[in-house]
Amino acid sequence: MNKAKSYGKRFAAIMVQPVIAALLGLLVGAVFIRLSHENPIEIYRNMFEKSFFNPYYLTQTLTRATPIIICGIATAAAWRAGYINIGVEGQMVTGAFTATIVAIYAPLPGFLRLPISLLSGVAAGGAYATIVAVLNLKFNSSIVICTLMFNYVANYIASYLVSFHFKDSSGDGLSLMTKTIPENTHFLQFSASNTLNLGIVIAVAVVILFYFMERKTVFGYESKMTGLNPDFSRYGGVFERQVMLKTMALSGAIAALAGMCEIFGYKYRYTDNMFGSASYAWTGLMAALIADLHPVGILAASIFLAGLQVGGQAIQRTSSIPLQMATVIQSSITLFVSVKLGIKLVKKQRKKKCQDNGGQSNREGGGAA
Amino acid sequence: MFLELKNITKAFGQTVANDNISFGLNKGEILAVIGENGAGKTTIMKILYGLNRADSGEIFLEGKKITIHSVQDAIAHRIGMVQQHFMLFDEYTVAENIVYGKEPSKKGFFDRKRAMTIVQELGVRYGLFIDPELRVEDCSVGMRQRIEILKVLYQDADIIIFDEPTAVLVPQEIEGLLKTLKHLASLGKSIIIITHKLQEVMDVADRAVVMRKGKYVGERKISETNIRELSYLMVGKGIPPRQIERKEPGKTVLEVEELYYESDGVSILKGLSMHVKEGEIVGLAGVSGNGQTELIQCLTGLLYPSKGRIRLNGADILGKSVREIRDAGCSHIPEDRYAFGCASRADLEETAIMGYEYQTTFSHRGILNQKQNCSFSMELLTKYNVKYNSIRDQAGALSGGNIQKLIVAREIEHQSKFLIAAEPTRGVDIGAQEFIHDRLVEKRNRGDGIFLVSSELSEILSLSDRVYVIYDGRIQGEFRREDATTEKVGYLMMGGHDEQG
Amino acid sequence: MNANLLAVIMNSTIRSTTPVLLAALGSAICSQVGVFNIALEGQILIGSFTAIVADYYTGSVYLAVLCGVASGAAVASLVSVLQVKYQAADMVIGTSVNLLVSGLTSVLLYTAFGVKGSFSNPSLKSLPKINLPVVREIPFIGRVLEQLTFIDYLSYVLAAVMFIYLYRTVQGFHVQSVGKNKEAAGSLGIKTLKIQMIAVVISGALCGLGGSVLSMGQVTLFTENMSSGRGYIAMASASMGQSQPLFIIVSSLFFGFCQAIGMSLQNVIPSQLTLTIPYLATVVALSIFGRKKLKKK
Repeated sequence: MNKAKSYGKRFAAIMVQPVIAALLGLLVGAVFIRLSHENPIEIYRNMFEKSFFNPYYLTQTLTRATPIIICGIATAAAWRAGYINIGVEGQMVTGAFTATIVAIYAPLPGFLRLPISLLSGVAAGGAYATIVAVLNLKFNSSIVICTLMFNYVANYIASYLVSFHFKDSSGDGLSLMTKTIPENTHFLQFSASNTLNLGIVIAVAVVILFYFMERKTVFGYESKMTGLNPDFSRYGGVFERQVMLKTMALSGAIAALAGMCEIFGYKYRYTDNMFGSASYAWTGLMAALIADLHPVGILAASIFLAGLQVGGQAIQRTSSIPLQMATVIQSSITLFVSVKLGIKLVKKQRKKKCQDNGGQSNREGGGAA
Repeated sequence: MFLELKNITKAFGQTVANDNISFGLNKGEILAVIGENGAGKTTIMKILYGLNRADSGEIFLEGKKITIHSVQDAIAHRIGMVQQHFMLFDEYTVAENIVYGKEPSKKGFFDRKRAMTIVQELGVRYGLFIDPELRVEDCSVGMRQRIEILKVLYQDADIIIFDEPTAVLVPQEIEGLLKTLKHLASLGKSIIIITHKLQEVMDVADRAVVMRKGKYVGERKISETNIRELSYLMVGKGIPPRQIERKEPGKTVLEVEELYYESDGVSILKGLSMHVKEGEIVGLAGVSGNGQTELIQCLTGLLYPSKGRIRLNGADILGKSVREIRDAGCSHIPEDRYAFGCASRADLEETAIMGYEYQTTFSHRGILNQKQNCSFSMELLTKYNVKYNSIRDQAGALSGGNIQKLIVAREIEHQSKFLIAAEPTRGVDIGAQEFIHDRLVEKRNRGDGIFLVSSELSEILSLSDRVYVIYDGRIQGEFRREDATTEKVGYLMMGGHDEQG
Repeated sequence: MNANLLAVIMNSTIRSTTPVLLAALGSAICSQVGVFNIALEGQILIGSFTAIVADYYTGSVYLAVLCGVASGAAVASLVSVLQVKYQAADMVIGTSVNLLVSGLTSVLLYTAFGVKGSFSNPSLKSLPKINLPVVREIPFIGRVLEQLTFIDYLSYVLAAVMFIYLYRTVQGFHVQSVGKNKEAAGSLGIKTLKIQMIAVVISGALCGLGGSVLSMGQVTLFTENMSSGRGYIAMASASMGQSQPLFIIVSSLFFGFCQAIGMSLQNVIPSQLTLTIPYLATVVALSIFGRKKLKKK
């Protein structure tokens, strides 16, 4: 009982900042809406109604949130161990594209088609991320830059494959996309009237499993400690290379899952640059940052951001406000979150500096070696 | 007096690092400021060099009062300092580093050729030769120090402060450095050298100021004193040795034979041999920087020795991983609690279970046994009197003494046959010190072997059944408890030899 | 391959290189002082946008370029204050600013011109094309250098100036030292924070210039997200050129060439494959460079 309360308290403490930041972000949005000669209150009412408070739009929001949530978790999985993976998009593309191709072309019996496709996708995404980890271990090449580069490599190669080898030539031949995946691999859809599908269940499951992994497993503990202080975990006997390889593979595998939910959930085919243009990975990253990598926070933040995007589309249809207003609000929120974090950090450092000086007087001359 | 420090006081929070310190420096003199770790030597020199600001007190240069609030002020008054932690740019050349901040230039363009000749001339003038075109990253520690000295000379300093200059050097380099110091003094430079190596003080200094626990204890002309007197002044009477019941040690737990360790081509451990038996505390005394850190890290698997043999409870552990060594029965209180002992953003439970997490009672098939881990952590915290609010507190929020108690608790409660305790009480208050010492003795009385490494000689002498002295990567000598006195051990710590002790 | 096609490819290479080169120089100046700036993308995009807006309202291309540069610097100032002064996480600031600019330009596009997606107008002036009097008569080289703008030439001059400043002047020496060892530089009296902040602002100005050439060079229009990843390409180019301006000219030309050849030879080699090369090359370059560092340790 007590424990649950303290968890709740901590969660609330983590979420106070993002909520304030969200309000400030909406305020910034209001200024621009006003500049466009529209009534901010009216627009926001419309926007939130058409994202959260209307059942149909809510299902849209949740559909859109699905890949964002999973991308956020993929990001958090790597970042919490200290590995800055910004290649979630590339891993997502690799995994989802592989799974799509397997689903369409592999000679498999019906009941195995979906599981095998998903497994191959997860493996591909994980492997793609692991390459970077290996490069870092062997050659000390920066994880940030390499994962970023690998986004482009994955996108272009998928684009090449979809243009030349796996193109669906049945249509007008202009759009670059694969054939649709067989019907028996489609995710369960809850209702014919909307897009909501099994994907959201998977996303929530990923959040729960990640939460469990993070708090209850030895691997979660060891990777967290590696992220907080690699020397401490080395001293304690953690095999840091293994932790790194496993962490990156996990992050890539989760990322792949995000892409697969999108395709097997309701798009049913890979279209050139589909993940890049929707910027799921970056939105997921934002959600992870807003929530300070807390899985439940990521879930909430992702749904909120997805809602902004869906609401943005709605107001674009009914008013003169372009849907990118959602992007403005979204990025203002992360800026406000980061600024507050930043200021806190500076204060802490100043304080620490004083302490360090004090400590030095005690430890003077001690660290000669 | 050329330079005078008067009534300098400086406190960091509760601790008074310098308590009303006054002394002076003559022109062309080499003055040694000596004292144990934590005596406040570095603090007062940092005040003189503008890195710290005194709470009160005055500084006079040639009779005139001066204020030093920044390094630039100090340099303007021709005061330079060679810090222990070098301030060099690895990727720049020697010449670029030396002229930094006062570069020769033509219309704003950096005249690197002139810089080279300047450095060469400087080297000739002061007898400090170094290739100005070399990159600093390719320089040895001794060469880096020479670069720092040349940098100070290039800035035209008349007063040069050296903070533990020999701590990082190998003996041959030390000899060279001491010659350089004498040479500089003969050219009219005034030199202050902070050290606790008394042999060097005797070799090179004209006068020594002794500090202890932030206070000025006295000063002696070198011609009128000896090592014994100085070390007595430095250490004081010391704490009366703790009464430890005599016990016959059991069989050997740790045996190290001919251990070598090399880093960047510099050999640091040079054939070190030692052993620890069950039921004894073995102290390792020595001036820091003589290989203690590397020895500990080789024993625990954090570093790989180049050759030698290490046996723990009969098993060969050389080159094994940290986890394998821990499993073989070695626990380890690390020298630097913030670098290795904890993660400041981890909570107390997470801090407490490090090194246990994969053991069967703490996890099963990769799933942590949280109930048990939580109660285990609580137990440690209570048993070792750690003051905390909630088990979810971050380790960084605890005071130094409390976090150290938690680390000690964690490592002792491993119930392993062998414990390395490195600087177990550094920077903690007296109460915590006593407490930790009691726990160590308890563990020894249970029949486990403890290897105690400390830069506080008094700590070693009061706890150890047997004392090794390390000097320059080797064991310089060994004493039984009853024979180990401050004088004898201190003498070996300075590089003296057994028969003369 | 005939000479004409080659000349066209080379000409196209030069044109695609300019924005990347300018932004890569911006990225380099930041990493030279130890700041990881990933807001380049946003700094370019705001430059493109502002240049077109100013072009429309003032009718002067030079004023327009100036405004583009200023807007890039303004966005960079935001980055510099938040990331350098208040030490907010670089990743957060960079990605947020990139997104913010992308959203903001679209919103403002609508507010200012009432259009969505892209804006062009017959009254917009493009940057004057320079056809060098004698050179254009030379058969091959004339083709290679035709129809370039002054910014195309300026970018190489800026690279050279930056090289001389950083590697030859005393000030540049101090600037570099901040990135090499901030603590040491600070202890020797260098105002490290100020230098870092200025460097970020300069990177914004360079990106703004790159953005202006993007919207007013080959085409005269603004399209949403028209920077299309050039900021990240520039980061790749800068890290491949190890933040040294002259190397960056080479690496940026390489990126430009891959782009140009992709467009020109679409029927021979799929452009997606040629476009992949620079990114893979960056990873290879980083690995070789990283290994050298690893060995030294």
